[in-house]
Amino acid sequence: MEEKNDLAKRILTIKKTFDAPLELVWEAWVQPEHIVKWWAPKGMAIKVVKHEFKVGGEWKYTMLMPDGNEFISEGVYSEIVMLKKIITSANFRPMTEGVEMRSLFEKDSDKTHFTFSVVHPTEEYKIQQEKMGFYNGWGSALTRLEALLATLK
Amino acid sequence: METRRDVFQAIADPTRREIIRLIAKQPMNLNAIADNFDVTRPAISNHIRILNECGIIEIEQQGRERYCKIQPANLKEVSDWIGQFNALWEQRLESFEKYVYQLKAKRNKHGRKK
Repeated sequence: MEEKNDLAKRILTIKKTFDAPLELVWEAWVQPEHIVKWWAPKGMAIKVVKHEFKVGGEWKYTMLMPDGNEFISEGVYSEIVMLKKIITSANFRPMTEGVEMRSLFEKDSDKTHFTFSVVHPTEEYKIQQEKMGFYNGWGSALTRLEALLATLK
Repeated sequence: METRRDVFQAIADPTRREIIRLIAKQPMNLNAIADNFDVTRPAISNHIRILNECGIIEIEQQGRERYCKIQPANLKEVSDWIGQFNALWEQRLESFEKYVYQLKAKRNKHGRKK
């Protein structure tokens, strides 16, 4: 089975060092007027529907696809340390739900070290979500498809 | 604008996910698939067409019936959906990086206002 790979797959970490001051990087990351400029893939319209930048505050962005369907990104901030750290829950509907996003900022004179990670829910949580129908049948579809693939290989 | 025809498009809709789930069990014809849903037959037919264009299912004509079958080769991509998700983030952060530099350049130009 794929269990061994799973933990590594569960956490995505991207590190970048920007040749730009911390204040500017932070501003570009947290302010709606800037978010709309980089969040959506090229050519996709984005709307910041909600943006309560405080612990317990909700955020929600919607992107309209060419066929009229919407991609929704939303979450609740669970930790904010000004100019240092942001932790938020996040749902990306219809793709994935219940992930945690962590963004860490570190000043290095005129540069900024930035560490971003997305943590997918644990196996147990995933199974629980599937039972509750959070994945709209997608989780179980995946299981069946994998089983099917195994028989065809 | 070019229409997206990829895995994201295929699974972006709950009805399409349900269709994939059904056909994964066994090939089915359009009527049999439509019987599982409350939406109209043309709507189902449209979803099938999209799934077909996304390479997720193939349609086989057998007499008067059209059977929908899962295409295993393209499923690998579907099953690696977390990989897709990660690729999306890589792209997003690249676009963030570009934007940071644009913003920096803009601020430097209007340095006095800062």
